[in-house]
Amino acid sequence: MNKIWLVFMLLSSTALADSKQPDARYCLVCHGSAAQGNVAIKAPNLAILPDWYLRQQFIAFRNNWRGNAADDAHGKEMQAVANTMNDAEIDQAIAFIRRRAPVKLPISVNTTADIQHGRQLYQQCQACHGANGEGNAQLHAPPLAGQHNWYLVQQLSAFKNGWRGNQSDDSYGQIMRQFAQSLANDQAIADVVAYIDSLPPTQPLVRTTQ
Amino acid sequence: MTNYFKTPLTRRQCLGLLAKAGSSSAILGAAGIFGLTNIPLNASPVTLKPLQGKHRKVLILGAGISGLTAAYELERAGYSCTILEASHRIGGRVLTLRHGDFIDELGTPQICPFDDAPNLYFNAGAARIPAHHTGILHYCRTLGVELQLFSNHNKNCYTQDDAAFNGQPVRIREYEADMRGFIGELLAKSATAGSTLDQAFNEQDLDKFIQFARAYGDLDANLTYRGTDRAGYAAGGVTSPAILKQPRSLPDLLRSDFCTGAMHFAEIADQAPALMTPSGGMDSIVKAFLRQLTTPVHLHCQVSNIQLLPQGVAITYLKQGESYTEQADYCLNCIPAQLVSGIESNLPADYVAIMRQLGRGKLTKIGLQAKQRFWEQEDIYSGISWTKQDITQIWYPHHDAFKAKGILLGAYSWEPQISDRFAAMTHQQRLATAIAQGTKVHANYGQYIENGVSVCWQRMNHMLGCGAVWTEELQKTGFELLQAPAGNHYLIGDQLSMHPGWQEGAVRSAWHALADIEQRETLRTGARA
Repeated sequence: MNKIWLVFMLLSSTALADSKQPDARYCLVCHGSAAQGNVAIKAPNLAILPDWYLRQQFIAFRNNWRGNAADDAHGKEMQAVANTMNDAEIDQAIAFIRRRAPVKLPISVNTTADIQHGRQLYQQCQACHGANGEGNAQLHAPPLAGQHNWYLVQQLSAFKNGWRGNQSDDSYGQIMRQFAQSLANDQAIADVVAYIDSLPPTQPLVRTTQ
Repeated sequence: MTNYFKTPLTRRQCLGLLAKAGSSSAILGAAGIFGLTNIPLNASPVTLKPLQGKHRKVLILGAGISGLTAAYELERAGYSCTILEASHRIGGRVLTLRHGDFIDELGTPQICPFDDAPNLYFNAGAARIPAHHTGILHYCRTLGVELQLFSNHNKNCYTQDDAAFNGQPVRIREYEADMRGFIGELLAKSATAGSTLDQAFNEQDLDKFIQFARAYGDLDANLTYRGTDRAGYAAGGVTSPAILKQPRSLPDLLRSDFCTGAMHFAEIADQAPALMTPSGGMDSIVKAFLRQLTTPVHLHCQVSNIQLLPQGVAITYLKQGESYTEQADYCLNCIPAQLVSGIESNLPADYVAIMRQLGRGKLTKIGLQAKQRFWEQEDIYSGISWTKQDITQIWYPHHDAFKAKGILLGAYSWEPQISDRFAAMTHQQRLATAIAQGTKVHANYGQYIENGVSVCWQRMNHMLGCGAVWTEELQKTGFELLQAPAGNHYLIGDQLSMHPGWQEGAVRSAWHALADIEQRETLRTGARA
């Protein structure tokens, strides 16, 4: 009984108040000052991702669909954070990210990739992700245009090697994994990502409350 | 390895051996930085000329040792400084944990559960200061920081390796005595068989060398190692005759990796005795700076934009959800490079490109509160035990002998893979792992441990790493570029030193930037005159 009281005392201390940061400022430490992503941390651009997809991925991390593989150190970092957040805090974090003003990102072109080959490969992607990589909420497919190319490469590899899409209750991940496995090798991944990189900027995101 | 011990030893070979053992050019280079060589390099901190009425504003990003050093020197010369700190505390990786402290690790937040007592603290970051780190010691001296001796090497501690001695811990004293005995014997015997030498010792040299080998190994008159009291006695030795311990066999000793690594840890320039540490915790240095500083330190200010201006720098930061912008003549930026990489800015692309290539240091420390100082029952006061398990080390407090309780370091691993394994665990799993592995060094370890803290530095909020990791190649191509100012913006901190992870690197990097500012101010004044 004393112990429970002690825990309560600790939780109500000012120290713990520090742990509950207003407006989920944790996000920007890794994902960059405008949630635009940070290659040094391998943290993706969140600014281009719609609310429903961000929420879906929080759930994916909490469900162990992402961050499960022993050597996926970056996935595990995000999973550790997602595991500390309840639904209300997730909503708060997403709202916080939405308030960031977008920043322009420099275009980096992969000169060793074959964009024409990438265009052919992308035909199987566009059914879900859209001809312009704008994504499709009904199909739970995120926008791709505007995402960092290194992150797209990293995630296609993650789907291919089973870090993502490898669990029976992760149906959308499983679908994506099949497509990723159809990409023959690293060059094919580089080519399709180079094509996505070349897509014109997408329309401003349509905010949904889904 | 060449067969030094099968053929007689020549002077050339001997010198070759010595060079390999202790004075390779790499080690000399490292030593030179801090004046370990015969060129004395006294700590003469940059002395900034007083501004004498001129107004200069400096924004310092980050309240670690480099930021505090810069603020201290600048404000004394009349610069008006402001420190913006992203986290909830001052000190950066000088982190001394005590009762009730909040540990802001992403995904693993903790409140330090140690009892509220002055001797129960844990240096989760910086923990020791070598005597040649004259920069940080300069501030310890001038700011009145009381120092104690800190021990990296204690012969009464243990080495444990599952591959050797059935996994049983062995006193470092015994291991080293036996190893030196065998080495001494091999040296002495190979030196006496002096035929066919390409340039032999003269007789005096040879005699002295054999005396050395005998003393090194504690050999008998026949130059044979038969055990030594250096290993401690098996029985007796005080009021009854001593019985020596039986030496272990060389093949048994070689099964342990201790001889190829940890045994030589205290030979490393920065780890060799005598080391020091502030009484009461490393953050005594931070407190000493704060006693002197009038510069305000604003906490919870997370930088979101760095803009170089023609005559200065504009910094935008978030505080409690609100955005603020401040301009200054100079900006000294101690934010870890991997985080600057994610901050919107107009910093030159080649400058940011180098930051993006720096690796994040992965390092884990675990602190454990013991309800009894059981190590004192085993004649251990301070020092480090080594194990090949993930926890790697156990440290015993160098302070407060015979008190009721104590704080042990229960794990310290700097191998990235090991630190990743700790990071992937919950806090409770980390403590359980530390206790389970520590039990191989001290039986019944678990029964003494009451609680603990765990810190994975690659997960610590607003840091995400401990010590920038420079590859040799990147250091060649990028260090000078990143060390130079971009406009009126300077990236500083231990990350911009050859000693990332040491306070000395932070101090020297701040001095480097201040010297440059001093030069520019002199030029500005000169141009006007």
